Amino acid sequence: MPEVDVMPGNKAVAYGVKLSRVKGIALFPITPQTTIVEYLADFIANGELDAEYIHAEGEHTAMGVAIGLSLSGVRAFTATNSQGLAYMHECVAQAPAYRTPLLMAIANRTLGWFWSIQPDYSDVMPELNLGWIIQFVESNQECLDTVIQLYKIAEDKRVLLPAMLCLDGFYLSYSNERVEIPDQEDVDDFLPPYEPKHAVDPTVSDFAPASGLPTQLHTTYRRIYEEILNDAKEVIKEVNEDFGKHFGRTYGNGLIEEYRCEDVDAILVTMGSMTTAARRAIDELQADGHKIGLVRVKTMRPFPSEEFRRLAEEVEAIGVVDRMVLHGTGGGGLGADLKSALYSMEDRPLIINFIAGMGGDDISTMDFRKMGERVLKAVERGRVEREVEYIEHPFKPVSRLVPFKERRVIYPGSGGCTGCGASIIIRHVLDVLGPNTVVVDPPNCAGINYSSVVGVPWILANYAATAGYQTGLYRGYKLKGKADKIHVVSFAGDGGTVDIGLQALSGAAERGESIIWICYDNEAYMNTGIQRSGSTPLYARTTTTPAGRFWRGKRERPKNVPLIMAAHGIPYVATASIAFIPDLRRKIKRAAEITSAGKGLAYIHIQAPCPTGWYYPPEKTVEVARLAVLTGAWPLIEIEEGRVKINVKPKKLRPIKEYLRLQGRFRHLTDEQIEEIQRWVEESWESWLKLEEMGKLPWYR
Amino acid sequence: MSGEKYPFGIKGLVGRGGLLSGGGGVGGMYVGDWRVFTPKIDYEKCTKCWLCVAYCPEAALSKGEEGPQLDPRFCKGCGVCANECPVKAIEMVRE
Repeated sequence: MPEVDVMPGNKAVAYGVKLSRVKGIALFPITPQTTIVEYLADFIANGELDAEYIHAEGEHTAMGVAIGLSLSGVRAFTATNSQGLAYMHECVAQAPAYRTPLLMAIANRTLGWFWSIQPDYSDVMPELNLGWIIQFVESNQECLDTVIQLYKIAEDKRVLLPAMLCLDGFYLSYSNERVEIPDQEDVDDFLPPYEPKHAVDPTVSDFAPASGLPTQLHTTYRRIYEEILNDAKEVIKEVNEDFGKHFGRTYGNGLIEEYRCEDVDAILVTMGSMTTAARRAIDELQADGHKIGLVRVKTMRPFPSEEFRRLAEEVEAIGVVDRMVLHGTGGGGLGADLKSALYSMEDRPLIINFIAGMGGDDISTMDFRKMGERVLKAVERGRVEREVEYIEHPFKPVSRLVPFKERRVIYPGSGGCTGCGASIIIRHVLDVLGPNTVVVDPPNCAGINYSSVVGVPWILANYAATAGYQTGLYRGYKLKGKADKIHVVSFAGDGGTVDIGLQALSGAAERGESIIWICYDNEAYMNTGIQRSGSTPLYARTTTTPAGRFWRGKRERPKNVPLIMAAHGIPYVATASIAFIPDLRRKIKRAAEITSAGKGLAYIHIQAPCPTGWYYPPEKTVEVARLAVLTGAWPLIEIEEGRVKINVKPKKLRPIKEYLRLQGRFRHLTDEQIEEIQRWVEESWESWLKLEEMGKLPWYR
Repeated sequence: MSGEKYPFGIKGLVGRGGLLSGGGGVGGMYVGDWRVFTPKIDYEKCTKCWLCVAYCPEAALSKGEEGPQLDPRFCKGCGVCANECPVKAIEMVRE
């Protein structure tokens, strides 16, 4: 008997992945996708799922890992959205060419220009036409069912293409609904193990996928892929029907789902979670005697053109509701696809394209009713007044701002967590640097919480390109003769520094850009909800390295990024702590002096204790930071022109246990694990002592 | 659509004082209603070492004549000041 539970869409996706017996999972957290991979981590940590779980250092890599897994011949899964999806774009384009039937879940979220974590389909828009199978779901049950269906579709030898499952962020990803969890045996019966004929395995065959083509074959291959995608429509319908036989649930014909479309003059066309509200509007309109039905597009790629041509013959007008805008064309993506599908018809229906719900704006039943009435009016008049209509809602600003008469570099109060360590850091950094400072900030909790209370420019940079933004600004000021007057400083977290941002940072260091890089290190991705980073300490519990029956926190030691930076031969590298404020302020001042003199990049790595992510009471923030220094877990180091100096050198390090026991993230530790952490801390401390003894690092001139 | 009133003055340019607003703010954020415990400062005991001012995550404490001055509009009641005070001159009391 299938189990029934109440769960959010992300958990339903995770259950789908588990039931599909996925063997490889590549991940990089991004809201509102993250909990999918968190639930999967829990499954693996507790022994419910046997799979490789790969913490990539960025989405670009995550997609690379997923393709690699699939090429090796195992069933692969990854998940992302929005900025992350855009960052992996070139790898997304590669997956169909390599015929890798992997599955990617997209918890839709708008794609910046203006940032938001709320849903619309602008993130999927650039990925639509790359050759993936793309489906949009309406409910949490459909999330689970579609994962299983999509593996069957993608792995079918007539298809062999990657597939994307799109669920609306928040509306589905975090909303709870009743979900039936099918039995594992039934799923195994429906979805056989993935046994590819063309895995890259030199022990079996010399097969490898081609990455290039002769010029003349490009057009031919594009045609072949179009044929494959067109044939996939039959596979999608078959799988949907077969799924119905096994589990008693189908979703329309797999391509589109019709709702009360018998004997109607007009239809509304929707996608995703908005459909539920549209159904209620159609019920109301039909109850009032109006002849209008509803069609939901489940499969966006391949586009169900034939289905719509058939429907178009029966109706006089179609209203298309779009949650994406094709800027510069005047309309939405679904509207454009539908119009082009119907163009060859002799007697085309009238079409109104509604743009609604961008950036997560709610589309209510009332809105759909209005849209329905517009379409019906078009039927009545036999013409369309406006081809594209925007459904807009009034904006009511809610301000918690306390205006100040005098100008400050940073004002009191913020949206940060109570007892935030990063808040202490940013206040001292800006206080030392003064008003001629430009903060360049990759997405992190500091940007969310402090950008609204700083009095200096705070530029949100795209995650991996932060040092690039800084370089451009610095060189611009140099051209204007102001480089010595303006501090270009980053305020990057550990993710933005040691993981996704390292490449651009390394480039800037090597080029000798005179910029300040501040890393506030809270030792995990706190903004997305405590996921492991390359800086997370050994055995710390995070949501992607949980403590369960089989996992006991993070298994790897963190990267030594200060030393990596020193390996570039940059003039200034330092670590700092919020418990030692005079030391911290002196280091920021020194960094500013060095960069103002144009000597090169100054790098300061500051530990930022996080009560939310480290699980300790907020009043302990500074105490935890102090213990980190006194136990040797966070040595205070300064490397100026290659000379290593340990700033705080206790006669005897305090046992690491004193630092660990304050924090919930270490509560699961066994005595052996504590001993190993103690060993790691001592080894790292010894290394710094040896480096200090050397006088000057040998690669510095 | 021209002639429409935009909430931030310039058509298409959102700025100042909101989430991810690009800095350039003109004030602090009211967070006084987050608080459960309030720091009670004993000015008799206070030695004016100003550690509490340096450590306050919200800059709700500032230097004053007789010791630290609390601006309750910005205090979230985290208790870092009381925890760090070397002479225990600050006590957290439930409001």
